[in-house]
Amino acid sequence: MTAANWVTRVVSALLALALLIGSLLAVVEIVAAALGRAPALIPYPEWTSWLRTHSWNDWIVNAVLGGLVVLGLLFLVLAFRRGKPASLALRSRSGGVDVTASRRSVEKSLATAAARTTGIAGASASVSRRTARVDARTVARSEPGIREEVESAVRGRLDSLGLERRMRTRVDLTMKDTR
Amino acid sequence: MSSRANVINRVVLTVLGLLLLAAGGLGFALSVGAFGASRATYPVLSQEVSTFPDGRPWFWWAVVGVLLLIAVLALLWLLTQVKADRTTRLDLTTNARDGYTTLHATALTNAVEDEALGIAGVTSATANVHEHRGRHALLRVELADSADMGEVRTRLEDEVVAHLREGVGDPHFPVTIELRPGASRTPQRSII
Repeated sequence: MTAANWVTRVVSALLALALLIGSLLAVVEIVAAALGRAPALIPYPEWTSWLRTHSWNDWIVNAVLGGLVVLGLLFLVLAFRRGKPASLALRSRSGGVDVTASRRSVEKSLATAAARTTGIAGASASVSRRTARVDARTVARSEPGIREEVESAVRGRLDSLGLERRMRTRVDLTMKDTR
Repeated sequence: MSSRANVINRVVLTVLGLLLLAAGGLGFALSVGAFGASRATYPVLSQEVSTFPDGRPWFWWAVVGVLLLIAVLALLWLLTQVKADRTTRLDLTTNARDGYTTLHATALTNAVEDEALGIAGVTSATANVHEHRGRHALLRVELADSADMGEVRTRLEDEVVAHLREGVGDPHFPVTIELRPGASRTPQRSII
């Protein structure tokens, strides 16, 4: 599961809990009022009088309405944002069998492929839906054309995976700090 | 954790988001005088609204009914977050009059995992049967860095998946294979 899905899952759980507790509390208050009892947990008479004494154009009412709009937009962003994929689809060979490769393992695999290139001291990779980005650290005096070699190694690894969608590659080289 | 929960979360968050956006937007429209300048000065809880339940004893019981419905839906939503959509048993009964046939999903998944682990380059395998948009099997396979991806895929699709489908008696049983290349450098199992 991706980090985006975890955030959505936690927010959903908290929201569900809040709705559950809130609606049950409201039921308790309505039943208590029907039995002629005083407010049990929610000071609703105060809330009612506050709503009666504040008009729609009061700044505090506008602030609450603004909060509702922001909260609504946040929920929509959570519902629609895609984030990085948890896995990448590979080309299908047989019917009824979907083959995928987990994004994290593809990143690890690309970093390993890049790090094996001569003159590269280490590498890290990050993969989004369309782009594979590799950050490689070269040794102090790297050979010319090393970028092409790293790119070729990364492309070779991507080709061997057989991804359904062709991916752009981007290689950034930095010189390893030798101090 | 299930993918069904992700779909439900998106749907509920969209509905709640739109409701909040509509409530906030309409309130703002009211406050800036979009429905008449005088209405902007009305109290948020007007006299008509606050006296509406008077003489209507059914009103608060209807509210209780709606609140209980919201509570039940919220509880179901909460349970969705922790519920996995894995299946523990597969019903293979073809004709109930001849008897019932049930296959323990773990028996199937253990066999699948063992067979996958026998393929060179596979360092770890986990299989589950899920029930989301119909039954399907999910096989997660970790590969050594040196593994031949093409060879592993061929053997998984031609042998492991074929045997799994034989086991459930369905030649079209949907299967998802998740490969994890480069998950480990050295295979955990070795031939002695």
